[in-house]
Amino acid sequence: MELRTYIIRRLFLLIPVLFGVTLFIFGITMLFSPVQRAMLYIRDVKQLADLPGVIELYGLDRPFVLQYGTWLGQVLTANFGYSKIASMPVWEAIWHYLPATLELAIFAAPLIILIGIFMGSTAAAHKDKPLDHTTRVVAILGWSLPTFWLGLLLIMIFYGYFTGFLPPGRLSMQMDIVVNSADFIRYTRINTIDAILNLNGPVLLDALRHLVLPVITLSVVNVAFIMRLMRSSMLESLGKGYILTARAKGLAERVVINKHARRNALIPVITVSGYVFAGLANGVVITETIFNYKGIGWWAWQSAVNLDISSVLGFALFNSVLFVLVNLVVDILYTRVDPRVKLGQGVQ
Amino acid sequence: MADLIRIRDLSVRFYTYEGVVHAIDDLDLDIRQGETLGIVGETGSGKTMTALSILRLIPYPGKIESGSIVLFDRDSGGELELLKLREDRMRAIRGNKISMVFQEPGAALNPVYTIGDQISEVFLLHRRQELARAAKQRVDSLLSDGSGIASVKKPFWRWQSRLFNKIADEPHAIEPRLLSHVPLLRRLLGRLRDEAGLLTVNMLKSVEIPDPARVAAEYPHELSGGMKQRAVIAMALACSPELLIADEPTTSLDVTIQAQMLELFRRIKVDKGASVLFITHNLGVAAEVCDRVAVMYAGRLCEVATVEDLFLHPSHPYTRALLEAVPMPGKELQTIPGALADALNPPPGCRFHPRCPSATPMCQQERAKLKEVSKDHMVACYLY
Amino acid sequence: MSDWKFTARQLAKNPLSMTGLIIIVIFVIIAILAPLIAPTPEGHRNPYMIPRDGFFATPQPPSENHPFGTTQGQYDIFYGCIWGARSAFRVALVVIGITLLIGIVLGSLAGYFGGIIDEVIMRITDIFLAFPALILAMAIVSAIGPSLKSVMIALTAVWWPSYARLIRGDILQVREEDYIEASRGLGASSGRVIIRHVLPNAIYPTLIMASLDIGAVVLSAAALSFLGLGAPEGYADWGQMTEFARNWMVGPPGNPLKYWYAVITPGLFILFFVLGWNLLGDAFRDIFDPRLARR
Repeated sequence: MELRTYIIRRLFLLIPVLFGVTLFIFGITMLFSPVQRAMLYIRDVKQLADLPGVIELYGLDRPFVLQYGTWLGQVLTANFGYSKIASMPVWEAIWHYLPATLELAIFAAPLIILIGIFMGSTAAAHKDKPLDHTTRVVAILGWSLPTFWLGLLLIMIFYGYFTGFLPPGRLSMQMDIVVNSADFIRYTRINTIDAILNLNGPVLLDALRHLVLPVITLSVVNVAFIMRLMRSSMLESLGKGYILTARAKGLAERVVINKHARRNALIPVITVSGYVFAGLANGVVITETIFNYKGIGWWAWQSAVNLDISSVLGFALFNSVLFVLVNLVVDILYTRVDPRVKLGQGVQ
Repeated sequence: MADLIRIRDLSVRFYTYEGVVHAIDDLDLDIRQGETLGIVGETGSGKTMTALSILRLIPYPGKIESGSIVLFDRDSGGELELLKLREDRMRAIRGNKISMVFQEPGAALNPVYTIGDQISEVFLLHRRQELARAAKQRVDSLLSDGSGIASVKKPFWRWQSRLFNKIADEPHAIEPRLLSHVPLLRRLLGRLRDEAGLLTVNMLKSVEIPDPARVAAEYPHELSGGMKQRAVIAMALACSPELLIADEPTTSLDVTIQAQMLELFRRIKVDKGASVLFITHNLGVAAEVCDRVAVMYAGRLCEVATVEDLFLHPSHPYTRALLEAVPMPGKELQTIPGALADALNPPPGCRFHPRCPSATPMCQQERAKLKEVSKDHMVACYLY
Repeated sequence: MSDWKFTARQLAKNPLSMTGLIIIVIFVIIAILAPLIAPTPEGHRNPYMIPRDGFFATPQPPSENHPFGTTQGQYDIFYGCIWGARSAFRVALVVIGITLLIGIVLGSLAGYFGGIIDEVIMRITDIFLAFPALILAMAIVSAIGPSLKSVMIALTAVWWPSYARLIRGDILQVREEDYIEASRGLGASSGRVIIRHVLPNAIYPTLIMASLDIGAVVLSAAALSFLGLGAPEGYADWGQMTEFARNWMVGPPGNPLKYWYAVITPGLFILFFVLGWNLLGDAFRDIFDPRLARR
């Protein structure tokens, strides 16, 4: 199947999935009172004052199906409602908080991938030797750690004990002022990138300092996961016949491992990266909450705790779309890496 | 015929959880130049391990305990003690002077690389200088030709020529090696790959693969079993080895393909003058292809003779039993009584004595040494 | 059944899995003997609510009355941790139990009958899987109000698709086996074939995943409680206790680690609990992996 056709087909399939997702979530919101649900339809602050009017207007006391229809209509006009927490429409809130989370992801993802894959394959190449055992123990510990607890511990030690060394939040107060001042142009609102673009060293340093702990907290669980997966995948790969053939050809061990074994071992890891992404999405909520790092995860949590359903719904929708898109990319990548799989076969 | 490989007192042991397995015990074997020697035996007889020992590829937890394997190098005329060779020199021999074909061609090929890539790999590894020389010639002639090369590109082409020159002198020269790790500049060395590709296509043609250029661009899963096996053989023959080891090369193929494969092996012997170590459990196949046949049981050599001698005058009781056991229409199926020797706890003395119709008390105590019973016919049995 | 003996022997050989087993056994004992180890004081109605020794907000360090100290609001940490083991097992067993049930039923239907039933069920699982679990759980819990029960419901809703998928995959494999055809040939009805032949063979990998997941479920439940979406304040739940600790992670200047006992202890319990199950699950996986030869 041709690439373009495949992508279009997959994107089409997105529709029923989103349909189902929204139906499900909307069903949950029916458990709320009309007042709370009115929040879903509010577009600006003024409407907040006139809730009964909103309820009347959108027929929030009418039967479910009609309501779903109206809500769906709202959604299709990109009106996801109003976020109490952010004091702005949900749609804008997402864009407002996204860069912070992106920044985390930009640093965490390569870390997870590089360390996980590298350590995993190294452990496999030195099976049953001390390095292997250490890696396995570390991996299992990391996998068993409650992320939130790790975050707390890290703050306790690196912020509390080593006073103020690695603080929570995104930026310290002074830097925050700098970043919002007229001299500093926020191209992307990703602080590290902006700092580089603005050639501003202190802001860069400050942003990095604030990133260290959240990135570590976010990464640990996922690194552990990838490490273990990579290790077992490598072991399987190293046991295959073509490895013996490669050695019989006279190839150096290093080449055998890097060129022949690893390429095959990466295949299942790529498959799984979609799930890793989901894991990141989960981890982001907890991590941002603990470190008071005002990104999407933080916003989602605040919304959930305050029963701000419109925000939670918006977040869930946003996440679903992202997830489906990521899976699409992963599936395509998969066919590139494994010549045995053709597009449209799907990940088994 | 002169000897190519001389194996003396080879012992290979496996240290497993459950105990020590004597995979090969004091093996003496010669492979002569230009001959096809077959090793026949049941599973666990040590045939594959013998082959792997020659290449020093015994997997963990196995170890070559003792012995010597000497290669009489045709080209340099010298003797090489393979078991004592430095690893990097051993690597220069693998795939080059001695190569191996395995039982399952599907498993032997890496599914993520094309056939062509995997065969070219051998050329790029062992024939680098040759490739570099050919590449340099091509670049030089195109340069002197003058036509069609943009003047912007000319310095790069000259750089290529210099690089190839370096590699032709010293295959592991530093500058080209460093360059091969730099992403864009790597392309300068691309010609080497192209030259290797030409040799690869020729190689595929020589093993009678139709449309070799297309096949070279295909992936293993796109080929049939027979084609895969041919490709694997092409890979093994690429550098014109002095010894080709074939471990049950026809076992996983269906009978008609088998016949073609055996024909191919016969041709190899004739065309290339290589020795072939042909491992099989199928006596019929051995009879078709081999000049001499060695029979192994439980890690030890029982008998070795020319193929006619072995089949006409089988001496060792085990050989006799094997021949008796070959199914013949009209004849009742004969089996060998008893079970295979337990690898962990082999019977003392001659390993075969519990199942041997002619066993004597001495057989239980000490194994017999190889004795010549007739010209070029050795047996390890007290009957002689 | 000799498979079980083999499994037991393999488990015994592996030091990591033995450690896991020991840890789990310890927790089981703690959970069962909770009333003995940390007795509920007289007149205290709900044993799952941690008894309070006063209402003072600041956590107090370990002392004779409170071996692990007290956390915010003077809740006894020791009591909370011990009874927390009970909560943990409760949540895990309920969630895994129900998820297995739903997953097995739906997965079997999808795998065995294929066709449109399969398509429909698979699309439904797609929908659920399109959500990162925590977010879906958050949405559900925020809709029905926070409590341990809603956490259990949310986790069940989030978890069952993976089991359905897994069982379906296994059944697809087993379905093609010859003994299934033989059974059909003898006239066995679909139901009978599924229950007596397909399931027992397909179920092994699922059971492994289930055992691995016990740790994951408790971890997620703790995360939800930590976020304030789970157990109510003062409930004997490890995650909930960690949430208390959040306000006290950094002590006064000069003694920043002052309230370490409030932060570290509940977290350690979670860590070891999950670790035990992961070690065991890992060992199971190594044993049941058909690709690993039985050495």
